[in-house]
This record gives sequence, C-alpha cells and structure tokens, in this order.
Amino acid sequence: MKAHRVFAVLVVVCISVLVAKADDASSEAPYTVQPGNKTDQKTYDGWRTWRALACERCHGAEQEGMVGPSLVESLKTMTKEQFHTTIMDGRPDRGMPPWNGSAMMQKNWEGLYAYLKGRSDGKIAPGHVYPLQN
Amino acid sequence: MLLETSANNDEEKTIMNKPYARPTKAALAAVILSCSGVMAAATELEQDMRDSANWASQAGDYANHRFSSLNQINAANVGKLQVAWTMSTGVLRGHEGSPLVIGDTMYLHSPFPNNVYAVNLSDQTIKWKYEPKQNVNVVPVMCCDTVNRGLAFGDGKILLQQADTTLVALDAKTGAVVWKAQNGDPKKGETNTNAPHVFKDIVITGISGGEFGVRGRLIAYDLKTGKNLWTAWSTGPDADLLFDPSETMTWTNGKLAPVGKDSSLKTWTGEQWKLGGGTTWGWYSYDPTLNLVYYGSGNPGTWNPSQRPGDNKWSMTIFARDLNTGMAKWVFQMTPHDEWDFDGVNEMVLLDIKRGNRTVPALAHFDRNGFGYTLNRETGELLVAEKFDPQVNWASKVDMMTGRPIVDKRYSPGTTGPDVDVKNICPAALGSKDEQPSSYDPRTGLIYVPTNHVCMTYEPFQVEYTAGQPYVGATLTMFPTPGSHGGMGNFIAWDPAVGKIVWSKPERFSVWSGALATAGDVVFYGTLEGYLKAVSTKDGKELWKFKTPSGIIGNVFTYSYLGKQYVGVYSGIGGWAGIGMAAGLQQATEGLGAVGGYKDLAKYTTLGGSLFVFALPDSGTRSASNN
Repeated sequence: MKAHRVFAVLVVVCISVLVAKADDASSEAPYTVQPGNKTDQKTYDGWRTWRALACERCHGAEQEGMVGPSLVESLKTMTKEQFHTTIMDGRPDRGMPPWNGSAMMQKNWEGLYAYLKGRSDGKIAPGHVYPLQN
Repeated sequence: MLLETSANNDEEKTIMNKPYARPTKAALAAVILSCSGVMAAATELEQDMRDSANWASQAGDYANHRFSSLNQINAANVGKLQVAWTMSTGVLRGHEGSPLVIGDTMYLHSPFPNNVYAVNLSDQTIKWKYEPKQNVNVVPVMCCDTVNRGLAFGDGKILLQQADTTLVALDAKTGAVVWKAQNGDPKKGETNTNAPHVFKDIVITGISGGEFGVRGRLIAYDLKTGKNLWTAWSTGPDADLLFDPSETMTWTNGKLAPVGKDSSLKTWTGEQWKLGGGTTWGWYSYDPTLNLVYYGSGNPGTWNPSQRPGDNKWSMTIFARDLNTGMAKWVFQMTPHDEWDFDGVNEMVLLDIKRGNRTVPALAHFDRNGFGYTLNRETGELLVAEKFDPQVNWASKVDMMTGRPIVDKRYSPGTTGPDVDVKNICPAALGSKDEQPSSYDPRTGLIYVPTNHVCMTYEPFQVEYTAGQPYVGATLTMFPTPGSHGGMGNFIAWDPAVGKIVWSKPERFSVWSGALATAGDVVFYGTLEGYLKAVSTKDGKELWKFKTPSGIIGNVFTYSYLGKQYVGVYSGIGGWAGIGMAAGLQQATEGLGAVGGYKDLAKYTTLGGSLFVFALPDSGTRSASNN
C-alpha cells in the first residue's frame, strides 16, 4: 500500500510537473489558436489591426516580405521589446512608419505581436482569422 | 572639376560641372517672344515639341500622343538596334516616366529622393545635378513604391514634382532653384508621384494619397513665378470644384445637361467628401484651340464601399477645365460608387475621329475599369464605351444613355458587404490598364495600349480614418485571368472610333511600360521581365527585343542628336506591378497554380535603376537613310 501511495504521489508530482511545463509552454506562446484559424480575442484584434493599417502593402499578404522585410523571418529573432520599439518609432529611413499615433495600434500592439508570432511559428495560417468565441 | 553653386535653400544641392554654354534657341525664343509681345505666339516648349529631334515633354506633345515622326529606325532595320550608351540613376526603385531631351541636353530623374541630372548628349557627362533633401517620413505614406513619373520643361526651366509635395522650378542651364511651391502635406498622407505638366505659361500638378483619405485636386502655378493660380478640388462644394452649376455639363440621359447645384455634396454622406479621394496622379493633356486641360480623378476614400453610400462624385471622373481659370466645362464619371479601386486617372489621348461624314474632336481613355471610352472633347458627349479586354466581367456594358456601367452583382463587394470574399472579379484593382500610358499613331488612327490581364478576390472591411495613416479597408488577392492565355498582360492595338481591338499580343506579365509609336511603323514597349520590344504597328509582330537588367515600368522615348535617332527607356522594376505584386501574389490561388503568376517575376529580374539608350549601328543608319 505504501509503495502504491508513493507511486501515486510520484504520478501526481509528475503530472503536476508535466502540467506546469505545458503551462510554461503555452505562456511562452502569446496566442491561442484552434482549427479554423480561430484565435483568442487579443490575437484576433492584432490581426484586425494588421488588416486595418494595411501592413500587407509592405510586408506581404502572408507576411512573407515585399518592400518591407518578411515578418515570418523577423519574428523568429525579434524580442517583444524590439517589436514594440519598431512598431511605435518606425524605421522611417527604410519606409516603416511610426505607429505611435494610431489609437488602434496603441491598444492592440501586443495582439499584433501575438498574431505575427503565430504566423512566424507556423501555427496561425495566412489569411482571415476568426475569434474563438464565435 | 565639380563646382558647387548655392541654391535658394541650403538643404538642396545643385552641382554644376561647368558654365552652361548652350547657345540658345531657348533664349532667342524668349527674346523674340518678349519683343513681339504676342501672347498667341508659340511658347518655347511648343517650339521645342514641334522639333522631333527633342523629347521636350513626357508625352512628346500636349495631346498625349507619345508619337514621334522620326523614322530612321523603322520596321525594316529595327532588328539591328543596339545599345548606344547607358547610365545609372543610383536608385534601386521603380523607374516610371522618361527623361526629357532638349537640344544637346538630356534631363533624367530618379525615384525618391528624386535626383535630377542634366547630361551632355555629346559625351554623356553630367552638366549639373540636383539632389533634393526630403524628409524620409514621406516614404511610408507613398502608396505603391516611391516612383516619380518625370520632369517637365518650359520657359528655360526644368520642373520637378518631389514626393514630399514640393514643386521645384530649376534653371535648365544651371540647375539652380528658380522657385518652389508646396502643394500638399505629407503628414496627412499627401505625396506626389505625377509628373508636372507645362501647358502654355502654366504648370499643372496634382496629388497622390487615395489610400490615405486625401482629397484630390488639380493645382495650377504661374510658370514664371510659381504663384498659385487656381486649385480645383475633386469633391466638395461647387466653389471648391470650380463648377458653375448651370454651365458645367455632364452626360445625362442621352444628352448633355448642367450638373446642377451641389453635384458632389449630394452624393456623399455628411462630410465624407472631405476624405473623398479623387486624387490626380495621372498624365494630363491640353487642347490649345479649346484651351481645355483634361485629366481623370482616382478612387473615392476607403476601398470599403459600404462605408460611403452614393455615387461619390467626382471621384473616378474625366474633367475638362479651362487652363486659365480652372473652371470645369464638362465632367464624366466612369465608375460611380467605386467598389473595386478602378481609379480614373489614366491619360486622355486627344485625337480626331470620323463619325459618319463628320470629324469629331475627341478624347480616348482606357480606364482601370476595363472600358475604352471615346468622348467628344469639346462637349463631353459619350461616343464609345467598349471593353478593351474581353474578359472584363464586373459590368456587362456601359449604358450609353446614362454613361453608367451595368454592374454584375456577382462581382459587387458593395452588394455582398464587409468581411465577405468576392471572387474572380475581372479586372483586378490595378485595372485592365493602370498609369502606363498608351501611344497614338495618327497615320494608322490606332492607339497602342499596354494592358493588364489580371483578376482578383476582394474583401472589404470597416476602417476608421486617422490623418496620415492608411485608409484602405479591403484585402485583395490578384491572379492571372482564368481561362485565358495564362499571361497577366496584353499589348493591344485599339480603334478609338469604334471601340474595337485590332490586334492583341499576349504577354507573360502586365505591360507596365509606356508605349512609343513612331513614323518608322514600329511601336516600342517594355516588359516586367526587362525586355524592350519593338513590334509592327500593323499587326503586332515582334521585330526586335533586348533584355535590360531590370524590369521596365518606364516609358519609351525617342530623340535625334547630330542626325542620328535614339530610342531610350528606364530599366528599374517597382511600382504596384513590380515590387508590390511580384511578392504579394504568393497565395495559392487557382490562377497562380495554373500559370505561375507574378511570383515567377523573381525568376526573370531583380531591382535596378538605369537608363538604356539604343541606336542603329552606323552602317544600319546609312542603309536606313538609303531606304
């Protein structure tokens, strides 16, 4: 019985560790995505910001890069802080406008980061995104 | 040795390499003009345009013909054409427009930062260069690459319309700044890509920014002083439009009728006309007899039609305005309540056509919407409206009584509403033809037209306006016309009197280069892969081609120097068709899957920025003159 108890505790501990690891993994990914390209509201709002501010005109419909760089590639190395700085200050000499004047961007930049991270990770498909709760 | 001269503004640099020594047909003409005091006398520009050795304006004339009477290079010998000389502009972006040639000097321009070079034709050395210093913040608010469609010349000045909405007049001899004017505010998304146009003693310019909620207008300046003479808005109150409600006419129920009071305001909700678009970045033309300027206006503000009910006048419109006052004599709206981004800015080609026994002063226009229009340019009467690409499907035809297209609801994003994909609309937003100008050969009576053969999926969505930020509101996917030859362009010959295609030459990609027809029975155009081609004006048969280092979106031009004819073009891909589309069409659509599409462009070419000038070998010239 004792051995069983120990085993049970071990199992519980292991499961706890696994769950914790899984939690860690999901907290690393700033987005949640489910089949049908459905995402959490924040990521969805990020995609809406991408669309409304016409980012595809420079970065491509699939973030693959055009006159602007590929964000699928950039987001593999760019930190969230670097992303924030680039978005808000722009890179005017390279054609990237500063978006700090956009209320929509101020509100949704983290969601946009989440969306682009999801695109870069290959977890979010190109094209239309839908909110999870709908 | 380089000598630096001071410009009016020390931000800009004009660099001269030696005192200008041209003797000066220009100065003589000016003296004659000022002594005679006869206003009706030909201006310096008009005299220079009459001499076919020059290419003194972007179209070679006021009428947008882009035709040259030079014939040393002709259908019999064009196959021997070879490179005479080349020059880099130092900029790797889309090169639209063409250089100008006046006397012994060629004037080149570059995309942003809009450098200007005056080059000696005798030895291709640089006489002077002008390097404007523009705020780089203008680049992000330029829509479709940082193109510039070229310079204008008149009254001893070279006119440069900078991207940052500064219009500059430079002394053609020295490059020194004579005057400057400001015609917009980049902070509001206002920029310029158009070439300024000199008509008589007036400079006309426009504005870009249709994707930023910019309110379009045409602006006139005094060529001598840079003083603003008039500004004619595309949307808003009659006073802003320079309309006389009882005198400005439009085609209405089979006849011409006055536009009436508030003709624009009535077609918008509230104050939406203030973001109304109707920008003016095309090629303008001028009829000196009627003293009328012709041009078209672009898309209405936001590409989401559900947000702006009404006809959205006078976006998508042909305007005929008095050169001196700007007052509109007539207007014609081609695409009321645009749902596709079919800007109406493409050039108006002024020509005379036969209607029965009558000769009618007409203008021909190839609209983005896929219809080739012919109107009476004196009255605004609609004469012809036919598809110049048979695959156009968004409208079945134009009702000749009302002038309105009959829209097919299956291809109407305004009918399906926001957040719905409307598929297989032909043509795509860049139209059956965009800014790439056509060429008219008065001897054949045909217009040679570079066209697009591209369709799209269009999904509009709700947007809010913030000054200086994109105000688009639609997501697009473009692909080659399904069920056709698989290519994305055609080069066609069009009869504007009846509205029929005479011949059509398929091309792998959109033909985004301005055409040039000559009295040598050849018509030249460039391709996105980078070929400069010469084809027969009679049947489109390809006679010669040459691969330049980059894709061609510039306009072909010709001139003669010391008795020898030259043909030139910029090689430097970009613009909407080049950079935007080449990389923007990666989505797996049926059309792309079938034929490869624009993404294949990367197999053929890469960025560039050079001028190519061609001529016959000396033996070829001799045999030509013997012919």
